[in-house]
Amino acid sequence: MPAPTTVAAPPPAAPTTLVPAIEVRGLTFRYPGAAQDSLHDVDLTIEPGDFVAVVGGNGSGKTTLCKAFNGLVPHFWNGDISGRVRVHGRSTARRSVGEIAHDVGYVFQDFGNQLVRPTVRDDVSFGPLNFGHEDWAERTDRALAALGLASVASTHTWQLSGGQQHLTALAGSLALAPSILVVDEPAAEVDPRRAAVVYDHLTRLNREQGITVVVIEHHAELIARYARSVVLMADGRVRWHLPVREALARRDDLADAHVPDPQVVALARELVPAVARGEEPVPLTVDECADLLRPVAGAADVALPPTPSGRGPLLARMTGVEHGYRTVSGERRTVLEGLDIELHEDDRVALVGSNGAGKSTLLSVLSGLAVPRTGTVEVDGRDTRSVSAAGLADTVCYLVQRPEEMFLQDSVRADVGMHPRGRGLTDADELVDEVLARVNLTRLADRDGRLLSGGQQRRATLAIGLAMRPRLLLLDEPTSSLDLSSRDDVIAMLDALSGHIRCTVVATHDMHLVAEWANRVIVLDQGRVLADTDPQTLFASPAVLETARLVPPQVTQVGAALGMAVPPLSVDELVRRLSTRPTEEPA
Amino acid sequence: MTAVAPAAPTMATSGPDGSTGRKAPKATTRSGFDRMSVEWVKLELMRVAYATRGGFLARRDPRAVLGWYLLCAVAPWLTYSTPALAVFFAVALACALAARIGPLLLGLFTLGLLGQAAYVLVLVFVLGGNAAAIDGLLQISLKLGAISLASMAAFVSLDPEKLSDGLQALRAPAVLGFGVSYGYRMVSLLIDEFQTIVDGHRLRGTPPRGHGFLGWRTATRIGTIAVQAFYPLILNTAKRTRTTVEALETRGFAGTSGDDQGRRLRLAHLRFTLADAALLLVTLVVVVATLVLL
Repeated sequence: MPAPTTVAAPPPAAPTTLVPAIEVRGLTFRYPGAAQDSLHDVDLTIEPGDFVAVVGGNGSGKTTLCKAFNGLVPHFWNGDISGRVRVHGRSTARRSVGEIAHDVGYVFQDFGNQLVRPTVRDDVSFGPLNFGHEDWAERTDRALAALGLASVASTHTWQLSGGQQHLTALAGSLALAPSILVVDEPAAEVDPRRAAVVYDHLTRLNREQGITVVVIEHHAELIARYARSVVLMADGRVRWHLPVREALARRDDLADAHVPDPQVVALARELVPAVARGEEPVPLTVDECADLLRPVAGAADVALPPTPSGRGPLLARMTGVEHGYRTVSGERRTVLEGLDIELHEDDRVALVGSNGAGKSTLLSVLSGLAVPRTGTVEVDGRDTRSVSAAGLADTVCYLVQRPEEMFLQDSVRADVGMHPRGRGLTDADELVDEVLARVNLTRLADRDGRLLSGGQQRRATLAIGLAMRPRLLLLDEPTSSLDLSSRDDVIAMLDALSGHIRCTVVATHDMHLVAEWANRVIVLDQGRVLADTDPQTLFASPAVLETARLVPPQVTQVGAALGMAVPPLSVDELVRRLSTRPTEEPA
Repeated sequence: MTAVAPAAPTMATSGPDGSTGRKAPKATTRSGFDRMSVEWVKLELMRVAYATRGGFLARRDPRAVLGWYLLCAVAPWLTYSTPALAVFFAVALACALAARIGPLLLGLFTLGLLGQAAYVLVLVFVLGGNAAAIDGLLQISLKLGAISLASMAAFVSLDPEKLSDGLQALRAPAVLGFGVSYGYRMVSLLIDEFQTIVDGHRLRGTPPRGHGFLGWRTATRIGTIAVQAFYPLILNTAKRTRTTVEALETRGFAGTSGDDQGRRLRLAHLRFTLADAALLLVTLVVVVATLVLL
């Protein structure tokens, strides 16, 4: 089975008379044992060279549809199927999944599990070797070079960052030289900034090699920036397939699919009546949005006084903390270096910085799970060296990044109750009920935590933390791999935390969380504190943003483009600040 | 062993507090070794798995290493002469040290061998044995010791890729080779996850009420947590492998050894050199000479 080369793929501007890259006609599919169809009478045509974003709510059939493109449906999942899928005019029904893999590359949402070999090079060459391509080495090198992975080729995959793992999975598909790439939720498990790197690569492959790209995505900002057309799925059907600008103008349809407006679109709708009425196209980028708003903005900006950051009594203090680990090859790596940090009550601290900056290590040192090599950590007046981690757990609670590692029992209720029951609290049952009600999980309390959706899992881990009634709450990436509405839920819940918890520290890549929730930001860079300030000041400091490789939210960027000295942190805030001047007409 | 080992040192220092709640700071001081030692064990396992220390066998062709191992593992069973076994043991020990098996494995091995010898010795005297029994005991210990040392030397020197290539070159089923390399890949993931789960139990579970007589409470606690921690670990792994299986399908690994072309390409880099042959020859001569002469 000769593999088609990518060189033959048509350029993006190819006339539509060519054979469609993917053609779906009347496809209906039902998983074995399922009560209803996952796909129902789907018709879809994807032109070669297109960059398509597939959106839709949970259970709308997005992933099933994409798995029909590469033959996993119906060859791997043999359910009831009717209809036809053609890839470059050839039906997938009579070809094997392996054969189709030469036309359609697929990157799974949990891409880490797609990597099966120890090193990056081994993994990328896995496909070409299995298919017996004589030129497997060249294919591997080409794929590695195309995604900028050559420098990490001999690294073990488990040592890579999430973003690099994603690129490795992509390279593994690319090594088979497919002309179509399907990527399931590139932004789900890596932060949006890293997802942007993946998107930049996809865009380049799309432009330079004419590879057709299909992504499942619900980050409207990424869709606006990168996609050329949008497919909306609902209840197993394709509701529409439109060019991106028209698609983003259909706010209600997208909201149904849990794709809220990107901030630039929301701003334009609020502040430019013509956009709200649909007479003018929505802006897709920060620059377009700033251009639209400039007439409205004028000199009206009134800087709001920054929210006063809490300087309550001292809760925790780190003095001269240094910590590190030994690598597999034997040398010692220092992760934290000479840290002096004081945490006060009422602090809402966002701990930011690129991967490997030491965020997780800092949290584990603060929680007492690790004691620093030198320096002291005092929490609530106790040196972590004098108390065991279990003893400290009454004061400090550390919620790890992967929720499933927090589920130790067979039901959410048992997990939430584990700590209070273990400490023999008499009111443990009431406490558990109250906490479950607060995170809105009473209905699901008897389910196994692992079987919940991503957003529910996060809420369940929050409940575990709340039931421990800590004074200091530490969270590692609480909003990663959540869709936007679940993410907003978690942010709102963090907002509502009060009572027993005196101080919350969140390690995060999510700048929306920083902007909307934090009152203090600590920027770590290579184990040192690069900045310790409030969000406004951070977003107004280009040098710090550059060094720590942080990208402010769109609304903040729009504010900067409009020349505002104090950057706005939320859409509401910018709207309020710009609306203090009477606008020409009510929207 | 891999999974339980990290648990023990983690919890041994959990200390006799917790249930006492928030009282005055304890006099005990944590040196930081409770966590560091877990890290150390983890690191040591990874270094063993990925042969990062080098050593004389790490440079050889995997087929030669497997052949060498086969010779060393079979030879001790062919004799009942204590001197011959002593020679095998000495040779295996020298090879293991030259293969740089590292302190963790060596320590565990010594502990295991001595512990076993000690309790069998006690048993022998309790049951009224004599000097002949000690010779028998020495023989079996030397036999097992020699074989264990050879196994460690061989597998410390084979990183997962070499091992799976070697197995495939010797016509083992492709699934076996893949399983070996995939298993190794999962080791670090599983250790990390296991550690997090054990930490969760330490922090959220019922706090220990002192060590108890001879530390029985601590021992029970460690045992219980180690067992309980497996349940989430297994479920999470099961969830993970679903994607892996689908991905294997798209990446042309159907799990059968039908595709000879792929096998040929994968193994094309293997070179069985003169040095490899020499290694096998020398080992064979030493084994035969020992068997014949002693």
